[in-house]
Amino acid sequence: MATPQPLQLHAPLSGVLMPLDLVPDPVFSSRVIGDGLCIDPTSNTLCAPLAGVVSNVQASGHAISITDANGVQVLLHIGLDTVNLAGKGFTRLVEEGEQVDVGQSLIEFDADFVALNARSLLTLMLVVSGEPFTWLVPESGVVDNGQPLLSVDTAGPITDDEKTQDGEALFSKPVTLANPNGLHARPAAVFAQAAKRFAASIYLHKQQESVNAKSLVAIMTLQTAHGDVVQVSAAGPDAEAAIKTLAELLVSGCGEAVTAPVATNEVAAASLSVLRGVCASGGSAFGYVVQIAEHPLDVIELGTTPQAERDHLARGLAEALAALQQLRDNAAGQAQADIFKAHQELLEDPSLLEVAQVLINEGKSAGFAWRAATESTATLFKSLGNALLAERAADLADVGQRVLKRILGVQDRALELPEGAILIAEQLTPSQTAGLDTRKVLGFATVGGGATSHVAILARAAGLPAICGLPAHVLTLANGTQVLLDADKGELHLDPDLAVIEQLHANRERHHKRHQQDLAHASLAACTRDGHHIEVTANVASLVETEQAISLGGEGVGLLRSEFLYLDRHHAPSHDEQASTYSAIARALGPARNLVVRTLDVGGDKPLAYVPMDSETNPFLGMRGIRLCLERPQLLRDQFRAILSSAALARLHIMLPMVTQLSELRLARQLLEEEALALGLTALPKLGIMIEVPAAALMADLFAPEVDFFSIGTNDLTQYTLAMDRDHPRLASQADSFHPSVLRLIANTVKAAHAHGKWVGVCGALASETLATPLLLGLGVDELSVSVPLIPAVKAAVREVNLTDCQAIAQQVLGLESAEQVREALRLYHAATVDTSLVLEN
Amino acid sequence: MFEKMQRAFWKALTPDLVMDEPKTVVTVVPGLAPEIVAALGGADNLKSQQPVALTRVRVELRDVGRMDRQALNRAGVPGVMLFNDGVVHLLSGLGR
Repeated sequence: MATPQPLQLHAPLSGVLMPLDLVPDPVFSSRVIGDGLCIDPTSNTLCAPLAGVVSNVQASGHAISITDANGVQVLLHIGLDTVNLAGKGFTRLVEEGEQVDVGQSLIEFDADFVALNARSLLTLMLVVSGEPFTWLVPESGVVDNGQPLLSVDTAGPITDDEKTQDGEALFSKPVTLANPNGLHARPAAVFAQAAKRFAASIYLHKQQESVNAKSLVAIMTLQTAHGDVVQVSAAGPDAEAAIKTLAELLVSGCGEAVTAPVATNEVAAASLSVLRGVCASGGSAFGYVVQIAEHPLDVIELGTTPQAERDHLARGLAEALAALQQLRDNAAGQAQADIFKAHQELLEDPSLLEVAQVLINEGKSAGFAWRAATESTATLFKSLGNALLAERAADLADVGQRVLKRILGVQDRALELPEGAILIAEQLTPSQTAGLDTRKVLGFATVGGGATSHVAILARAAGLPAICGLPAHVLTLANGTQVLLDADKGELHLDPDLAVIEQLHANRERHHKRHQQDLAHASLAACTRDGHHIEVTANVASLVETEQAISLGGEGVGLLRSEFLYLDRHHAPSHDEQASTYSAIARALGPARNLVVRTLDVGGDKPLAYVPMDSETNPFLGMRGIRLCLERPQLLRDQFRAILSSAALARLHIMLPMVTQLSELRLARQLLEEEALALGLTALPKLGIMIEVPAAALMADLFAPEVDFFSIGTNDLTQYTLAMDRDHPRLASQADSFHPSVLRLIANTVKAAHAHGKWVGVCGALASETLATPLLLGLGVDELSVSVPLIPAVKAAVREVNLTDCQAIAQQVLGLESAEQVREALRLYHAATVDTSLVLEN
Repeated sequence: MFEKMQRAFWKALTPDLVMDEPKTVVTVVPGLAPEIVAALGGADNLKSQQPVALTRVRVELRDVGRMDRQALNRAGVPGVMLFNDGVVHLLSGLGR
């Protein structure tokens, strides 16, 4: 019981301090590994910040940890993603197990080489053992090698008796955890975050164990479960406040909706006959409930030797990679194969492995380390408040589980399905859906997920109906219950009426017949009955989709989403790679068809690894699309140059996303002209803009003289006009492009464009809805760019209307009050004109 | 707290205002502010320049002696790292 000696950590390098929050690598900025600091180095020898034993030094020499006599462990990590350099540029000066003094040289590195070949030189010094510390210098500015920077509170004990010396420790009342999975990563992160706001040293206790409550990983090591009793203790100036706040937080579920038993009874008692969710894939089906649940795996925390555990992990990873390759090779379709490819890439992510390695070096088992690494990273993805990343979290959990099963030697059993199954799950993972016999599955219904989740993608690819966002009550339905899944309406009927089922059957038959008919006529032009030709083109993101589009009667590409070239990678695509992709697509189309390439449309909601972006409170109102590209003009110039290389191969159009200001259009045009000039091109490709910001729609008369065409992105235009997030669980159904306000903006845009002799396309989801076809034609839209499988249906919808009728109905609906009224009017119109005329013909 | 809220509102209401600044930079000297170029001994002392490693600009100078470190500090470059053959890293942070 010695008096705690404050331990000083000295600067391991000279350089400039950067706040840890800003480090563009979530593994570090989130403090999953530990809290500490970041230095952008100006010296090239990493020195020991404290005296101790080298507890681990990475073979590649870019990271080292040192543990002192009191168990304080400090990780030093040079650069970001430097693990990829495989040791090049680093010289290790010490060995594992060696005793080192403060200031002793540990690793020498070639800073210029690393700067040129790795993502960053930013160097981290993290207290991985979790002791709190205080700063001895200002948290920003320049530091010199060897200068004392942090004072670590070494009274960060693991056992109870040591703690009492830190003043009188206060204890909370025992709390029974209501969280269904205990304090797993998400609530643990919330709890640790809250604990960090207090100066007191805070511990979380479960039976005999206690851990630092400010460390996410430490809390997760407690492995709490539903119903476990835990206690919070705190010692320090604000101990009382800390105990009160944190105990309340535990009771309330740490940000997780906790199911008090009373609430469940209420739901069960209220014999609901219809459960509502969001349509993820259209259609309907009548079938039998099959519940799919993932059983939690038992993982032992402590490992044998780090070496043995490392081997264990490596074996698990290798087996999982091989299994994924097999799934990829046997995948039913491209969508599925792509998902497993993404999973393979996740497994090769160096930062994930590093977190696991750190934990293994601390003595944890391979399974435990791997689970903590994947869970904490998945939590991170979820906490960033962006739908796309949140769905990557589901992938990470899925692939994490796959490896964990391999490590633990758990066999996956193929699911035996009865005929006519409607699969119900909290969240269906790609791995679960991969082995399914889709002939026996009629539909999906899940609690989690959204319109862009995997289950939605797979369901759409397989042509099966799916609903996401159902209440959790759906998980309590007994296997074998008969249910009616009406995905178009987003409803699951628990007690379906026989008449309703029969009607749905009849509808399905009619749809099927109609689809066959449309397919047979796909190659015919889309001309209205009174002889007006409408160009029906495709929205694509790859060569494969382009080829499909052509075979389904697509008259060109109205939207090539170029993001696919940029997403999910660590470096910008090279010129040659970009150019060959654009050229291949242009060549597939040929000189008689339009190719509209949209320039890079990313932002805070679709971040790129190699384009550092500040995280934004509201990415949809932030640096997106053209705004981002003009801020990083080189990115745009490179893309222009690559697109221009396909100029002669198709009727090339370039389209700028998110344009709000005329100056943005002019600046982009200037860059395009400069690049075309540099390539010696005499004829510029057509340049147009997306109309997706209301400002651009309202000022279309000023934009029109300066563009060659407009293309209306109805999805963004709708969410910006109505101020409703289209993925919002409760607003999504109201964020409807049929809203008269959106239609008026479309009308205004068309009017302005035609006054200047320019054409207008629609490339948003509204173009793919056949209900909207007469409306868009009536508003004067010249081109409909639709999702590939819907080309035949939209072409058929064009063929069955008269343009003059369309104009009349369009004028009429512009004066209506709501999206529902518009939809209803269009349905009536359709029933009155199209259906009767078809009957008359047949 | 209030300041933070105000900033968030401002950002939400006027996302396009952020655009104005980079445009001028684009047309003057791509990547380097004029005061930095001056502190490096002028444009003619600059053999090459390249953004590297997220936070740095790697420049090659003809004559390192003409570089004014204090002026670089004043121009918002808190850290400078020297290498052989006139190679210099300017540590400019993430806000490029």
